[in-house]
Amino acid sequence: MTSTIGTDRAERTGMRSEASSASLTITDLRKDFGGTAAVDGISVDVPAGSFLVLLGPSGCGKTTTLRMLAGLENPTGGEIRFGDRVIARGDGTALVAPAERGAGLVFQSYALWPHKTVRQNIEWPLTVARWPKEERRSRGDRVLSMLAISDLADRYPGEISGGQQQRVAIARMIAPQPEVLLFDEPLSNLDARLRVETRGELMRVHRSSGATSVYVTHDQVEAMTMATHIALMKDGRIEQFGTPRELLESPRTAFAATFIGTPPANIVECRVHGGRLRAFGVDCGAAPPPSGGGTVRAMYRAGSVGIAADASEPGCVEATFADQVPMADRWVIGVDLPDGTRMHVSRDTPVGLLPGEALGVRLPSAPDAYFDASGELLDAEVSG
Amino acid sequence: MKRAPAPRRTTVGSTVARARTALGQPTAVLGAGTLLVLAVLVVAPLLGLVNTTLTAGNREAWTDVFASPMSENLLWRPMGNSVLMGVATAAGSTVIGGFLAWVVVMTRLPGRGILGLLATIPFALPSFALALAWESVFRNDLIGGSTGILMNLGIPVPDWLAWGPVPIAATLTAHYFSLSFMLVAAALASVNGDLMEAAELTGAPTMRVARDIALPVVAPAMVSGALLAFAEGVSNFVTPALLGLPVRFHTLSTRLYGAISTGDVSRGYVLSIVLILVAAMIMYASTRITGGRRSFATITGKGGRRRGVDLGPWARPVAAVAWLLVTCTTVVPGLVLVFSSLTLRTNDFSSGLTLHYWIGGSDPALAQGQRGILNNPQILQATWNTVLLGVCVAICAGVLGLLVSYVITRSGGPRWLTGTMGVLSFVPFLIPGIALGAAFIAQFGAPIGPIPSLYGTFAILVLAGIAATIPFAVRSGTSALGQVSKDVEESAVMAGAGLFRRIGSVIAPLTARGLFTGGVLVFVQMVRDLSLVVLLATPAMPVLAVLTYQYSSENFTQSANAVTVVIAVISVAATIIARRFEGAAQPWNSNS
Repeated sequence: MTSTIGTDRAERTGMRSEASSASLTITDLRKDFGGTAAVDGISVDVPAGSFLVLLGPSGCGKTTTLRMLAGLENPTGGEIRFGDRVIARGDGTALVAPAERGAGLVFQSYALWPHKTVRQNIEWPLTVARWPKEERRSRGDRVLSMLAISDLADRYPGEISGGQQQRVAIARMIAPQPEVLLFDEPLSNLDARLRVETRGELMRVHRSSGATSVYVTHDQVEAMTMATHIALMKDGRIEQFGTPRELLESPRTAFAATFIGTPPANIVECRVHGGRLRAFGVDCGAAPPPSGGGTVRAMYRAGSVGIAADASEPGCVEATFADQVPMADRWVIGVDLPDGTRMHVSRDTPVGLLPGEALGVRLPSAPDAYFDASGELLDAEVSG
Repeated sequence: MKRAPAPRRTTVGSTVARARTALGQPTAVLGAGTLLVLAVLVVAPLLGLVNTTLTAGNREAWTDVFASPMSENLLWRPMGNSVLMGVATAAGSTVIGGFLAWVVVMTRLPGRGILGLLATIPFALPSFALALAWESVFRNDLIGGSTGILMNLGIPVPDWLAWGPVPIAATLTAHYFSLSFMLVAAALASVNGDLMEAAELTGAPTMRVARDIALPVVAPAMVSGALLAFAEGVSNFVTPALLGLPVRFHTLSTRLYGAISTGDVSRGYVLSIVLILVAAMIMYASTRITGGRRSFATITGKGGRRRGVDLGPWARPVAAVAWLLVTCTTVVPGLVLVFSSLTLRTNDFSSGLTLHYWIGGSDPALAQGQRGILNNPQILQATWNTVLLGVCVAICAGVLGLLVSYVITRSGGPRWLTGTMGVLSFVPFLIPGIALGAAFIAQFGAPIGPIPSLYGTFAILVLAGIAATIPFAVRSGTSALGQVSKDVEESAVMAGAGLFRRIGSVIAPLTARGLFTGGVLVFVQMVRDLSLVVLLATPAMPVLAVLTYQYSSENFTQSANAVTVVIAVISVAATIIARRFEGAAQPWNSNS
């Protein structure tokens, strides 16, 4: 019941030692706006130094969750802890002010102060936190050089490029040496090449600071490259939580399967018929155990599916060629199934077809995984 | 803040903790503080006004006004005159303002830019400037005293042209057509260009395009301009006071002024309430009509340069009318006021010109020994008071406007609070200045508990000024705040800057330009205003506009006109400075 507002200065100065970090525990966290739940009771626990990515489509509640971690929104239920410090409780019994959480945030828009120079942007938060002048100056110099923007120190944000603004935003965040780094889709305003570069930069910052990072994105490639842990979110809930590899190799829902991977796995809706699965008039193997009837969603990885030039080849689903993209040293072929489902097939060579021409899709003898009609994993034997 | 969803058992301890976290929010303090200020400035005077008329001994005022032999003279005829002036002003302003807007925006007449600039000036002038100029030209010998320029040149002026409804309506129109012009021109500019050309590409004939595309977009602006002009015409005080009172032509405003200034206070208050209700209904209708639509009048933007209508043989007559209109409402009155202030005998050029009324010492032969205005300590005191009043009101209203708009748009406070503040900060827009002045006397004219009577103090002028300008200040605060993205403020939250530090270090610098411009316009409003302060200023606490009115009533025409010129110069100069500053560069976006 102790109020954690107004953490004393000693504790905050403790934040200044380099490479301090805190574990992050979220328990039953929720946020209701009016009658609707933006975040509908989520729980996540990651150790200190982790890189947690909140991944999901827009409107899934990932940004609201991040804003609750930052303290810009107050939860309406559940609890957030940094280390063993409770920083927010939904019942209002604990609420640490944003600046006293030891967290820094990079905004999607960067939110630099347009009337302050780059150096002032970086040093002003230290002024607010009452750092002595020399320390501010040396810390400012240090992060400026860390992000290779020392020569921009006296420019205004309006005078530098988007990528440089991004670096200033990162520098501003790490200057007070926070224990938790928060990122709200920080790369979404950058062009493709800069995005890859800055991704590397961010991971370097994460490692060298030793802090725990929470990163919000809708881009699964970013998530897979950077994360130690991914919380895949949908409709305010966590769809699946695990390491990137776990999410990729054993998706627990059809949504996870189709959201993650390049290309993602394919889902084919099958009808259960006499213990067998059928789709588009083709047998798709034995039905998984509770084979009472109804529909089952079969998951096929892009590499498990074959292409037949002759659409009428027996055992093949007749499909339409849509597009093809080279990826590494293979080709990813996009085809449309008769019900309009887009399927991705990976193979060594491109196909010599025009978009709209027919081809056959050859399914393996058994799917890579099964999900029930609601998208939950069916506990069946998964053959690789 | 929002509903707590999960039913959790509430303990006393957690309630206390929650209350403490809520009260610790500085935004709650700010919200409560600004709400209190608005209540004192807006609600209290109106309640005071109504309350005073309901106390024992004052209640008869209602029957006196509404149902007594006096009602005819006290209420019904003035009300009829007010409405008549409103209708005439609305019609005249819409026709002239609409015509000029069309000329400036849609035609290819040379000099459109200057026409457009001149057409906006009358609104920046004090509304008594035109009435005084009219009097200087057309005044006849009906009521004695010195006569106007025409009579002095031997040209007879009929009474209907010198006094009463015709000159009042004409000068009100000359003042308020600017408003219609600005609204309609903005709307026309938005239909101009791409929108019209897109319609013409469909092959529709020009008239059809005008009817189906241009008119619907311009109509709300025209209606809104007409209603605003109507409301101003109904409630204007100084013009009927100068040009109507000598022939006993009364409107509600002059009646209530007469009642209050002659000690018949409670009847004056009842008339104030009537005037507020009449004006408020019209203004409310105006904002309802344009409220939802104003957005599409501006959203479409300027578009490309349009060819412009070619007037052919009509070009010369149209240009002549347009130039005549703007010169007669700006340059001519200006020259009349300047030269009339220089005539030795009032408005008589044959008497010779003199600077006596500007810089002369006391001379018993002239104007009963009144000194030249630049030499007159009372005028200098009034100038100082006026400028100080303008500055104080501009600063206080600007700060309050920023804080109120912050609470309304940013604080995330409960809807009842932001809604109430929105309404309260809009209400003064509906209240005629003279009635608001009356309300301030009713509320603050007598001591309240430990607070002494504020009547005759500088404070009551400032308070009334803030109340009168708060709708404008909140609007300019809101648009200035709109320039600062929410992220930029939240990043200051993350840095640990408290509410007031954020406002000081982030929001204020980023909104400074917009706030300054808004502040200058508030300043101008206060400097040239008469109707708000005419009841509040006292001989011990003079302001320029009230002195002008007194000089004019006492037939010190040259002095009145000279002071008016001073006010006009201050107003127009400040307006131009504000416009300039709006376009000036700031260091952090110098190359944008």
